[in-house]
Amino acid sequence: MQATAETSLRVRLRRSLVLDPKLLAIGFGGGVLSGLLGVGGGIVMVPLLVLWAGYAQREAHAVSLGAIIPISLAGIAIYGVAGEVRWWQALGLAAGSVVGARIGAGILARIDERLLKVVFGAFLVGVAALLGAH
Amino acid sequence: MSGPTLYVALVAFGVVVGVTSGLLGVGGGTLVVPFLTLAVGLSQHAAEATSLLVILPTAIAGSLALRRRGVGNLGLALRFGVVGAVGSVLGALLALALSGSTLRAAFAVFVGLVGLRIAYDGLRRESVHP
Repeated sequence: MQATAETSLRVRLRRSLVLDPKLLAIGFGGGVLSGLLGVGGGIVMVPLLVLWAGYAQREAHAVSLGAIIPISLAGIAIYGVAGEVRWWQALGLAAGSVVGARIGAGILARIDERLLKVVFGAFLVGVAALLGAH
Repeated sequence: MSGPTLYVALVAFGVVVGVTSGLLGVGGGTLVVPFLTLAVGLSQHAAEATSLLVILPTAIAGSLALRRRGVGNLGLALRFGVVGAVGSVLGALLALALSGSTLRAAFAVFVGLVGLRIAYDGLRRESVHP
């Protein structure tokens, strides 16, 4: 059941990359926001993949995380040419985040999907509060 | 913050960002950019640029970990991301054309609105389908 659902999802994604303007729009829109705001783009791609394109939360997270690789590369290239990238400070943060990402992904593979939604929501509320406080 | 203290803080904050991004499928820029502007004192443009360089290895590590566990399909995700890369180039060029204060305001408004909407949606769905 789970395997069948996952297979059909992959077939759908493969086809829709060519045919579905929704997915093209989500990828493009996520990219614009990533380059404009310095975020991965997952913050907009995951909700859109779930709420608009109808993907399961966990699958949407996985697709979004992979998509962030070429998206961030393109942004780094543009900002790098402009001389805005602080390489050493990025290295410090990245060293910690690579370790942390493995921990987080390990939890994701085992986590309950509804719980993930609540955690995701709580995370975003926290970010909003953080920005609002300053 | 400066010198060794700064780098200890950067690595420690990086771990928090990594757990969040690996768990939630977002790159962590929503945490990194405010941290770099408010705590480290970078300009909005430099914070965003540096944030993207933090996000890249985090996304790679998270994606490889998911792939080992059989969650998602990395090849398809990368193809999806190539479409996004075109948008990212345009977004970065637009950011460079804006002033720092305008960009910072746009960042705050965007993340605040998205955060409220998705948090509300998550809580609503949880209560509708217990």
